[in-house]
Amino acid sequence: MFKNQLKIALRSLLKRKVFSLINIVGLAIGFGCAIIVFLFVSHHLSYDKFHLNGDRIYRFVTEEQLDGIHYSASVPPGFANAFKEDYAYAEKMAKVVYWGDEVLTIEDRNLKINMDEEVRFVEADFFNIFNFPLINGSHEVPLNEPNTAVITEDMAERLFGQEEPVGKAFLFGNKELITVTGVLKEFPVTSDFKSSIFISFPTLKSFSRFMSSESWGGISTNLMCFGLLHPNQDIEAIEKSIVAYPEKFRPNSKNKHVYKLQPLSEMHLNTTYGGGINRSTLWIFSLIGVFILGMACINFVNISTGQSLYRSKEVGMRKVVGGVKTQLFWQFMIETLLTGFLALLAGIGLCFLVLPWFNSVFELTLSMGSLLNIVAIGFILALLGLVTFFAGSYPGVLMARVAPISALKNQLSANDIGGSNTRKVLVIAQFTIAIILIVGTVVVNKQLSYAMTSDLGYDRSAVVMVEIPTNDVLPVQVEGLKERLSKFSGVEKISRCLASPGAAYLEWSTSVQYNNKAEAEEFSIMVKAGDKDYVDTFGIPLVAGRHFVEKDTLDEVMVNETFARKVGITNVNDLLGKQIAINSGRVKASIVGVVSDFHDQSFEGSINPVFIGPLVDVYNEFAIKINMAQASQTLSDIEAEWTKLFPEFVFNYDFLDERVAEQYQKEQQFLSLTKAFSLLAILIGCLGVYGLISFFIGQKTKEIGIRKVLGSNLGQILKLLTKDFVVMILLAGAIASPIAWLVMNRWLESYQYRTQISWWVFVLAIGGVILITMTTMAYKTIKAANADPVKSLRAE
Amino acid sequence: MLLELKNIFKWVNSGSQRIFLLKDINLSVEEGEFISVMGPSGSGKSTLLNVIGMLDQFDEGEYYFFDESVHKLKERHRSNLYKEYIGFVFQAYHLLDDLTVYENLEMPLLYKKYKGAERKAMVADMLDRFNIVGKKDLFPAQLSGGQQQLVGVARALISKPKLILADEPTGNLNSKQGEEIMDLFKQLNEEGVTIIQVTHSEKNAAYGSRIINLLDGRMVK
Repeated sequence: MFKNQLKIALRSLLKRKVFSLINIVGLAIGFGCAIIVFLFVSHHLSYDKFHLNGDRIYRFVTEEQLDGIHYSASVPPGFANAFKEDYAYAEKMAKVVYWGDEVLTIEDRNLKINMDEEVRFVEADFFNIFNFPLINGSHEVPLNEPNTAVITEDMAERLFGQEEPVGKAFLFGNKELITVTGVLKEFPVTSDFKSSIFISFPTLKSFSRFMSSESWGGISTNLMCFGLLHPNQDIEAIEKSIVAYPEKFRPNSKNKHVYKLQPLSEMHLNTTYGGGINRSTLWIFSLIGVFILGMACINFVNISTGQSLYRSKEVGMRKVVGGVKTQLFWQFMIETLLTGFLALLAGIGLCFLVLPWFNSVFELTLSMGSLLNIVAIGFILALLGLVTFFAGSYPGVLMARVAPISALKNQLSANDIGGSNTRKVLVIAQFTIAIILIVGTVVVNKQLSYAMTSDLGYDRSAVVMVEIPTNDVLPVQVEGLKERLSKFSGVEKISRCLASPGAAYLEWSTSVQYNNKAEAEEFSIMVKAGDKDYVDTFGIPLVAGRHFVEKDTLDEVMVNETFARKVGITNVNDLLGKQIAINSGRVKASIVGVVSDFHDQSFEGSINPVFIGPLVDVYNEFAIKINMAQASQTLSDIEAEWTKLFPEFVFNYDFLDERVAEQYQKEQQFLSLTKAFSLLAILIGCLGVYGLISFFIGQKTKEIGIRKVLGSNLGQILKLLTKDFVVMILLAGAIASPIAWLVMNRWLESYQYRTQISWWVFVLAIGGVILITMTTMAYKTIKAANADPVKSLRAE
Repeated sequence: MLLELKNIFKWVNSGSQRIFLLKDINLSVEEGEFISVMGPSGSGKSTLLNVIGMLDQFDEGEYYFFDESVHKLKERHRSNLYKEYIGFVFQAYHLLDDLTVYENLEMPLLYKKYKGAERKAMVADMLDRFNIVGKKDLFPAQLSGGQQQLVGVARALISKPKLILADEPTGNLNSKQGEEIMDLFKQLNEEGVTIIQVTHSEKNAAYGSRIINLLDGRMVK
């Protein structure tokens, strides 16, 4: 029986090639999306799942409570040892310090590489907490001694080629000679600890005194603290017992710390603490996948029920010779299963084509090979089963219900083959999804271009950022280099600074006392360190006073307008000459100038009170405004001059506008994806419209014939056919608009500065759908309207 | 007694009017009869045939088939009953276009759950009997009307029914093809199969042993 039904199913697919193709293409797109979403979501869910004691590993994090709560994925450097000594909760503790942007040299191999994300300083217990074995499988990683390091296989080959790396040494940061004591197995891709050089913690001393100390004075996000707890611990109780720490170790700080334990499994999925992706984003992706697949199912239902008109004779005949409802129902289900199976194969094929693009957008290395496991295969089979059920059962029931005599006499009414209302509801649902996705795309696009093109309050075009790689040269030498660079004709302005005004990666905020008050203010202030040319180089307008003058001791600084507001001053001139002390009085100076507000972090955040002063010790970069007409010459001039002062380092530069654009990487990814998804939704919607209009015209052939005989013209008939669709789209628009408005408003709320969702976005989406639908319909409709009326009437 | 209809009524409501399709039909059929139902268009011939074939419902009256009270049966039982005992032949043949001659013949057997080998033997037997072995792999569209109706009759016969219901079986055929089909019916009847046919043609009606005339849903003498 099954074999027979399969044969029949195949024949009936081949017989109605166009409709089979529409069904298969629609479902294939649905399956393709679902599989890619599955790959994406399961990839993110699998992060750091391979650690043996993963359920007992926690990261210690901090809620910093100032005028708002600031979440920091870190704790003060002194935390780990204090916690280990005071309490018996943890079996092991380990500090991990991320250390970027340092040069690594191996003289006898003539190797000089700039290391950015590859290096971490770790305590030896790191390898007892996490599951990163040596190549021989051992977890005994030798990393207690100063100036030792373990490196991964790949890095070993990069540094030492085919030679045995253990016992070899490299120079790090032109400072410390570090000996390799072990080689680690390559890390899994799905780990957030993707570094390749792990230097022993005692070595950190010569790079950061603060992070290697037992200080409680502040938090560096570069330092993270992990603990392997004893089994069955009550996390809330632990958090309660460490509530006393801030009081004990930092009694005078306005910045109230609350320390928390974050489970390892949350680390990747919680962006509050800098995780890779939010759970809610994964949900949105999954939902979109379900939507697209749902649209494809709706298509299938529409087209199949439309087709049942043509198939009712067959069904009737089968009933007459003894087929009962269930048999006919299953026959149709097998046809659906076959269609679904072919679509699944096509969908997998689509994934192969699309995955490279998807990977490049999200900077991932997903592969179809990872579908070859029980869970993924189970998922795909379940998907096929569900789709078969949802797409096939309704038309199957309709088919099985057909009354044989009326079917044989072609007397079926529209109701016998699925009420036209049911079908309309389905199409409206499709249009609704399509309109929501289009509105989403337009709004994301609008916000992104708003953010990218709007005025950040400072000038970012033609500004080149060049690193000052070391503190080992005297400030005077750096100033000398600045002098020499400013002489080049292509250099318009130049400044030494810690970072650009809106560098999101460098948020340095600290306490502030205004006007000789004894108490610190309730808010903290953002520190922007730069020399006297800082404000000019970045084109930040001065609204009151003058630039500070650089002296041997710092006694003049500038602030922004928000600072004035925060201390309750309306006329910014009143600020001039007032005293300001920051960082618990470590810097004391008078305010000589006020600049207008600029976005001191990314565009997303609100504008904070800002302090600009010449903190000579912390300069990290040159900001150089150049003449773009002679950019390449200027850049090579700069490189030549720079290398004279820093011969041991690698010259690196970034254009500021590119750096700013990089801050919108997540939005860019989101945009690419909504674009792709709404395109697919529109495509599937078109397929559905095509299927539906064919059915619709089939039904109306007689009406068209009669009208033509009675003298109506092409235009009137077109109107007759398209009116219903326009009404359906408008209805879908009415449903979709508030939903889209709500959803996109929620999304925009995470941006302090955001674009408006204007009415024309909805008009555009609805109008676009109408236009596309009409185009899809045009061919079929004109053909129907031009048909010979005699033929259609004779069929009676 | 093969079947008996007692006071059968069938109607449709159109607006406030009730239109009777069948009105007080009383009919009993013995095994081995060959009955022709005649009457003008719209007189209810086909409706009567469909009611007898259990493809259509009636609104009032009693229907006994081999002493089973059909009017009391559930759909599934009715379907089992006609599947077992009744074969249908249609004016428009109603072969399935997607299936070959062989598969069209096999289809009723599939719904009766015969084993594969049995099905093969029965289909081969039928092809042989109707001399269409050479056409078994052709599709209906590749056959002439007479050949299609031959397959239609073969399909009706394959499950060895007691009763064959034929709704104008020669209506779409030319006179020579029609004669062949009628001869076939005659022969089947002589072999013991009961036949009820609807026809417009006096000549075809003459093949039968009894004629029933219908007018406006009523039997007339």
